Amino acid sequence: MLKAVKKRFDIKITQANSTVSDTFELEKNIVKVHGVLVTSDKDDLLYYRGTQKIEINKEEFFPDNYESKLLMSGINVTPKQRYYDIGGVAPGNGRVQLTYKDLDDGRTVFTPYRVSLYLDCEMEDEL
Amino acid sequence: MMKEQVIITKVNIKLQGERKHFQIKLPKDTKYIIGVEYGGRLLTKSDGPVVQPAPKEAPKVEAIQDVLVHLVATSSGKESRTLFKRNQLIGELKLQSCEEANWFYAADVFANDANLDYADYSKSGFPINDFTHGNKKTEEIVKVDAESTIIQGWYLDALGKSQKMDIQYEVTVYVWINVEE
Repeated sequence: MLKAVKKRFDIKITQANSTVSDTFELEKNIVKVHGVLVTSDKDDLLYYRGTQKIEINKEEFFPDNYESKLLMSGINVTPKQRYYDIGGVAPGNGRVQLTYKDLDDGRTVFTPYRVSLYLDCEMEDEL
Repeated sequence: MMKEQVIITKVNIKLQGERKHFQIKLPKDTKYIIGVEYGGRLLTKSDGPVVQPAPKEAPKVEAIQDVLVHLVATSSGKESRTLFKRNQLIGELKLQSCEEANWFYAADVFANDANLDYADYSKSGFPINDFTHGNKKTEEIVKVDAESTIIQGWYLDALGKSQKMDIQYEVTVYVWINVEE
């Protein structure tokens, strides 16, 4: 039986104007990735300063310099619609690569923050 | 099989009233342009109030009174001052395909939504900002053939002009395309 699961992966941004890249692995019994969402513990910094590249199974879904604000949803958005729909992608080798770039913006002052990548997945109950 | 891709182009603006022509190159296997959206980043610090995020301030009694005044005036049919705030215009963006005459996309580029807190009569302690209460961003849908693989772009600054100073910022144009695999 298939069931919906949400996965969360975190990276820490400790320096201004830096790039942080990390690769995460999905469980083998995840069969589809439906949506993507990014959030942060300091969402103003993510909104104004962040850009990222997201690859799933070595396939690029969002290229370098794709602004994080375009993948964020505020609390005004209904919970079921917050994820950016990427249309049921097969995860292949299950590797998700997030390359996040922090860039100065005149409206913010840098302080270390966390960036969280959420994936809306579909998982097989039993292998 | 068709696949979606996005092409990102940055336009740097340095001077007030600056007008920029730019080109966006698409991959050779592009079939259609299917969507356009934009973003941006402020490169220099500005003292102007318009580009700053909404201040985090405690709720004020006057604000609630303002809403009540507005409601009373509206229901009584009298003309009143409105609480609806004008969004800050950053510039104008236009895109043209080499295939067809005229622009296929033209937009006023705005900063944050200045009216996110409109009709929030609670004015509770949770400050309303784009990054907490903003709507989900989606591209504007267009459908244009992309056989020539070049898009002509045009951008005109309005922010620097309205503030009467040189403000350095970057406008990012996202062109979504359909690519044949």
